[in-house]
Amino acid sequence: MNKFRNILILAAAILSFAACKPEFKAPTPSHGSANFSRYISVGNSLTSGYADGGLYLEGQQNSYPSIIAKQMQSVGGGTFIQPLFSQAQANGSGYLTLTGFSATGSPITAPVTSNLAVTGIVPIPGFGNVTTYTKYTGDPINNYGVPGIKLLHVTLASYGNLNGFYERLLDGAEGTHNTAYLDFVTTKPFTFFSNWLGNNDALGYATSGGAGDVLTDKATFTALYSLVMGKLTAAGQKGVVATIPDVTSIPYFNTVTVGLVLAGVQKANPAVQALYINAKSSNDNGDQTYAARQATANDLIVLTFPTSKIGTLVSTPAGMLPYGLTPYSPIENQYVLDANEVAITRDYVTAYNNTIKSVADSKGIAVADMYTFLNDIKAHGLLIDGINLSSNYISGGLFSLDGVHLTPRGYAIVANQFINAINSKYGSNIPLANISSYRAVKLP
Amino acid sequence: MRKLLLFMLCILPALTFAQGFQVNLAGQKQIGMGHTGTGLAQDGASIFFNPGAMVTLPENSVQAGISPLFFKSAFNPAGTNATYNTSDKVATPFEAYAVFGPKGSWWKAGIGVYTPFGGLTDWGNNWQGKYAVESLNLKAIYFQPTISVRLSKSLSIGAGFVYNRGSVDLTRAIPLSNSSGQDGQAELKGSGKGYGWNAGVYFDTHKGLTIGVDYRSKVNTTINDGNAIFKVPASVQASFPQPNTFKAGIPLPSTTSLGLGYALNKKWLLAADVNLVNWSVYKTLAFDYASNTAALQDTYSPRNYKNAFSVRGGAQYKPDNQWAVRAGGGYASAAAQAGYVTPEVPDANRYYVTAGLGYQAAKRLDIDFSFEFERLLSRTQTNIETQLSGTFKSNVYIPGISLTYHW
Repeated sequence: MNKFRNILILAAAILSFAACKPEFKAPTPSHGSANFSRYISVGNSLTSGYADGGLYLEGQQNSYPSIIAKQMQSVGGGTFIQPLFSQAQANGSGYLTLTGFSATGSPITAPVTSNLAVTGIVPIPGFGNVTTYTKYTGDPINNYGVPGIKLLHVTLASYGNLNGFYERLLDGAEGTHNTAYLDFVTTKPFTFFSNWLGNNDALGYATSGGAGDVLTDKATFTALYSLVMGKLTAAGQKGVVATIPDVTSIPYFNTVTVGLVLAGVQKANPAVQALYINAKSSNDNGDQTYAARQATANDLIVLTFPTSKIGTLVSTPAGMLPYGLTPYSPIENQYVLDANEVAITRDYVTAYNNTIKSVADSKGIAVADMYTFLNDIKAHGLLIDGINLSSNYISGGLFSLDGVHLTPRGYAIVANQFINAINSKYGSNIPLANISSYRAVKLP
Repeated sequence: MRKLLLFMLCILPALTFAQGFQVNLAGQKQIGMGHTGTGLAQDGASIFFNPGAMVTLPENSVQAGISPLFFKSAFNPAGTNATYNTSDKVATPFEAYAVFGPKGSWWKAGIGVYTPFGGLTDWGNNWQGKYAVESLNLKAIYFQPTISVRLSKSLSIGAGFVYNRGSVDLTRAIPLSNSSGQDGQAELKGSGKGYGWNAGVYFDTHKGLTIGVDYRSKVNTTINDGNAIFKVPASVQASFPQPNTFKAGIPLPSTTSLGLGYALNKKWLLAADVNLVNWSVYKTLAFDYASNTAALQDTYSPRNYKNAFSVRGGAQYKPDNQWAVRAGGGYASAAAQAGYVTPEVPDANRYYVTAGLGYQAAKRLDIDFSFEFERLLSRTQTNIETQLSGTFKSNVYIPGISLTYHW
């Protein structure tokens, strides 16, 4: 019987072996030549975590700077405070949700209007109405992303009165602010920064179809960018900047296409040959001549265009005519970034990006080239860990319901681009974020 | 015998792989000796290793064994410090053999039930590669009636017909978030069958040296009406029609083996095997759905396996008539090529060591224990189909036990 006991002991020993899991030798964490102990992020809506046409708690919690900061923890990163909305006001400014799809497959969205942080609408003389939000109170923040801000605004002392998202970060009452953004972000010492400013200097013009905003002057952009970078690196800080995406690489301009709208019209009325748009006559930014012409695939209709307008009778000098279908009743300027406007925007974005890259290079700062990255995705898609991503609206997985800002998954992918740029510039090994654990658009 | 077989079937087998997804757990005596057996006539496991040797077995026997298998795989995604482990699920490869023939006759007949292929990997629904695979449970049970005849004093042959009952249960996450932010999931579940054969030649020099050659054919296993279950948000369910079925074919490769045995004396027995597995038949893993939509197309995942080999050696020492001590080891090359390694089968070159203990518990009853440790060499990979990039490491621990009744 002793033999049997020995056998049992042997069997027990064998089973305990079976609990061992294979292990990996983790690389030694290294911050390289950078210091991540206090990282701040400077930028606009993309930096704030804005998504689905609004700023709300879940978006903030998945902002790319917060993802970067989380990954930096293992290589000496400190705490990263964001100006979060409270749980009770988690829906912040309000945002869009997807409620379903129409019979033809078009997405149906609805605004979220409960649990908002909106405190009022204040008329500012000489500017207009500004929506204000519950002020952020708490520890000093690391994420300075302000939706809507342009590079053009960073030295404007009164800007706190003009942008409710900035206003909520400042002390004092609406109408009395006089702290310029650049001064605000550099008040408290920091060791590392990310700077993704400049998008709105082109995007504002583009999303308004070239009608509601103007492009920031190239020379002004260069001067301001140098100023910002000078201040951000004044104490020898390291950081990372990002280039501005080609506006045509986002679904806001690629979802409602001329071809699709025309096909929809022709279903009901096969005689219709073309759409007409009110288009810029030349690719000179200074020339403000517009004229009606037939739309082509090179004219980009905005995502928010109410397609139901097409064909409705509108009053024109030539009488009541169907909207969008005659040269006398063209689709209005604000709904279309026409081919000339596209060319102008591209020219400016290229100039801005040359500035961004050369200023960053001159200061030895890492560059995350989002322009190239998003253009590559538009051309070839992106395959990560078995997920097929593209620039397509909703199905692409990257862009949120507003067609401009990203999903949590999109922001995580962007965060990894920043991390790659930081690691290769400074010899650090910030671990990459797990894209699979971040969601794309929520479907009902 | 029938009762025994039925009993074994009740323990739903879930199998894993010794190479690609081949399982080499066909008999505890043979496992103990490093999976050698083509050139030996140890027991009823000759039905698997070499039907040609079956007729030379001195007695009739029934036997059954099981090898609970602990497959521990870990994945470290490129550029991260994260480690994901497969969950602790125990696969249960088993084997059962019955051999019968008149004493000293020129023939013997037998039947074997064994599990030469399979896989059980469960990475969970929360790991980085969840869109490539969450879990795979692949099983193949071969039923093999076999006949073996002696042609001369030295030479014997044998052959068996193989019926395979195979099943697959594969789950993966679908990157479509519902309103709570949770993923969709695909589950492909079905069973099918396939046919093949196993034949061998056995040569006994009667000077201690024995030689065997065996060929186990390819078994094309076809699943015709598998269940394709897609859990996705309601607004896109129409793109993933339910109910839906799928068709899939899994070619289980042929194996050619050459084995030698050498009885040094009454106490020592040595053995060596080489195997060539024709894995190159496994080109794609394809799922053909009965209802397709724009979002749900048939899938053709390239696997492009290449032929693989293994070399094995082992020894048995019998201090007396009651005990046997066994040891062995081997090396097997990977079937999956660079760029085609997938988490459901994290294939890699591997080595293994084995040990075994045989004990004659009663006059006609043998108990055999075996233990195997298998280490898959660390493999860093970017999969071409999914771009899942990182390093796999796997260890396998396989205790085993069998009972043999002989008369």
